[in-house]
Amino acid sequence: MKTGGGGSTQGIDDASDGKVDIGASDAYLSSGDVLKNPTLLNIPLAISAQAVIYNVPGVSQDEHIKLTSTILAEMYSGTITKWNDPQIKALNGGVPLPSTPVVPLHRAPKGSGDTFIFTSYLSTQDQTWNNAVGYGTQVAWPDIATAVAVPDSVTMYQKCGTTPGCVGYDGVSYLAAAQAAPYNLGEAMLQNGGGHFTLPNAESIQAEVNKFVAITPANETIAMIFGPGGDGYPIVNYEYAIVSTRQPSAAQAKAIRAFLDWVVTDGNAMSIVGQVNFQPLPSDIQTLSKQQIARIQ
Amino acid sequence: MARTASDATLARPEAGRHATGRPRSGRPGLASMAVPQGTPATIQALIALLIVLAVAWGAIGAWAVDQHSSAASSLAHSDEPYSSDAQQLYLAIADADVTITTSFLHDSSTQTPPSSLAARQRFNHDLIAASGYLADLRNPGGNPQFTQAVATLAGGMPDYYRDVQTAQTEYVQGITPAGDSAMEVASEDAHLTLLPAAKELYQLENNAVMASSSQATSLTTVIVAFIVAIIAAIALFLVQRWLGRRTHRVFNVGLVVASAALLVSALSLAVAFVGARSDLNTAIGQGAHPAESLAQASIDVQQIRGDSILNVIARSGDSSLSEDSCSLALEVGPSPTSLPADFCSKGLPWPSGPGSLSGTLLGNASSAGNAQVTADLQTAISRAPAWYTTNAADYALGDKYLYPSEQANVFNAATNFTVVENSVDNALKTAQLTFSTQANAGANAFGPVEAIVIIAAVIMGLAAAWGLSARLGEYR
Repeated sequence: MKTGGGGSTQGIDDASDGKVDIGASDAYLSSGDVLKNPTLLNIPLAISAQAVIYNVPGVSQDEHIKLTSTILAEMYSGTITKWNDPQIKALNGGVPLPSTPVVPLHRAPKGSGDTFIFTSYLSTQDQTWNNAVGYGTQVAWPDIATAVAVPDSVTMYQKCGTTPGCVGYDGVSYLAAAQAAPYNLGEAMLQNGGGHFTLPNAESIQAEVNKFVAITPANETIAMIFGPGGDGYPIVNYEYAIVSTRQPSAAQAKAIRAFLDWVVTDGNAMSIVGQVNFQPLPSDIQTLSKQQIARIQ
Repeated sequence: MARTASDATLARPEAGRHATGRPRSGRPGLASMAVPQGTPATIQALIALLIVLAVAWGAIGAWAVDQHSSAASSLAHSDEPYSSDAQQLYLAIADADVTITTSFLHDSSTQTPPSSLAARQRFNHDLIAASGYLADLRNPGGNPQFTQAVATLAGGMPDYYRDVQTAQTEYVQGITPAGDSAMEVASEDAHLTLLPAAKELYQLENNAVMASSSQATSLTTVIVAFIVAIIAAIALFLVQRWLGRRTHRVFNVGLVVASAALLVSALSLAVAFVGARSDLNTAIGQGAHPAESLAQASIDVQQIRGDSILNVIARSGDSSLSEDSCSLALEVGPSPTSLPADFCSKGLPWPSGPGSLSGTLLGNASSAGNAQVTADLQTAISRAPAWYTTNAADYALGDKYLYPSEQANVFNAATNFTVVENSVDNALKTAQLTFSTQANAGANAFGPVEAIVIIAAVIMGLAAAWGLSARLGEYR
């Protein structure tokens, strides 16, 4: 078994084109993907979340700057240009916010599941962003001088680590590396649907996912952003395996089913998924995933 | 011997020589041994022959009338209405999807919850209507594909409704991203499950219309019937001549009556068939054929609209939906100039070459010879290019990830879409009206012909038997 990276869009495209047996994506299949290849399934394997990272000089990693979707939207729109902007200061009394210019990092040029869920979060509360940019695996980022495009998740935290004033987004699986030396990045507390500020930890991620378990459809296509109320973390997502229901041989189908079955059962143990800050699937979602896995022939 | 009423005779027969039936040569041959011996036996054989021919004419003539009449009746009262129902089923589902997704998109973008009452009512009405159409359909010829498609729709429509309700609930709760993903799931239900199944049903029902059309206008059965009639006529003539030579009587009343019955019934059948065939050809040529093209165009128009909306929802940058739209627009037409130069990334060719209306669905319908359909289609033909141009702009905005602008543009395209849709629908109604009027006329053209043929055959048999029996009596 060989693994590779490249982002959600590449995972979907490679699975769709038959270049790989199993693609991986933070974003579910779009209607265009499904129309192009109706045999593809998106099967949740674990639960992830997205961290908003920053490099703000003078702010310790323990202080966790509080941000809202509206503030983030204005930072990425170029409306908020400095870290000591009154809106940010109003939420972060006592935090020594500097006048360092905001440098928003985003993923480009390829599509990204991280971009899909991050821009979804921005669109939920900021109508200006929703009406001007919206959300998607790729968006027309506002043309601001300080913005920087990075090609992948690793470059995202590496670039942020060398760019004072940066703000970026990355999956929680990269958080340990981003927070460690030499990058020493901070991790923001984000406002959730209940108005509370939370960090992406086991409790907040599980709390958020639980709001969506009952409404996850049979094909498990769902955006779990900014759920209502509670103490959940507002940007969580399923980590999807992208697999075709039609495999070239029965033996290969059996092998893929066996592997994915293991991933959503024994492989979902906290001792395994916790290594990359993922969370196990709730039992109902495990059941749905198993039902989808059984369709692989 | 007394003269009988069956003899329009001038002289008695020369009974002696022919009554014996003795061969002219002294020695009987094989041929003469195989045929009835003597005039009475010959007459008896002729009676049997004419009765057989009368029965054959009655049976085959009536069968031919029944075949054409029932095919025409089935076409007018059964096949075409079923086909129309199947088409309405497709359109109801397509309209439900376009209505609710447009409403969700519009209202989620302005953050007013979550869809208008009018849209929800129209959506519900569409699904109820679709259920009704589905229940009304019948399986033409016990086709297993039909059964499968009905099962897909019967199982899929509740799933679709549930997914739409989930989206609705999530929008109401303010969970817009989850509402959007649920709406995407619902729309995929419609596009990948329901609409293909509905299209399958329409095609199966339409195939039944075409089969009935072919049967109703087929010449085979009528030709067979007329061959039997001609054989019977020749037989009557030869018997009359044979009898005349032996009796020196020009006419045998029974045979004359039998001939007249045959002639009247054959003429009735011919006139009815020619009239019915003319009506049915008009029904098919100016009704069914343009209606078939227009029904497909109507389905494609809905699908083009659905693709553009789904592309807004999907936000994937994938070209699948624009390519699907391109293929459909090429099929709908009206002409190569209808499409913006950059609309079809695949560079697909037009069905019948540049500059021609024919080969496209609108072109075929417009040139079918139904002036009212052509007039109804003028609006669609003139507005389709503008609509395609707006659609091309939608996809171009999506390709640049300008989703809000794409969404606004899709809303703006609704006007042209509605105009094209209404124009096609009006033309379709006109074609369907032409069809039903002419097909009914064709079905009614046979009227009492079947009874006339049967009664005439009975008269023919009885009259011939009576006429010859009376002649036979003269030998006893």
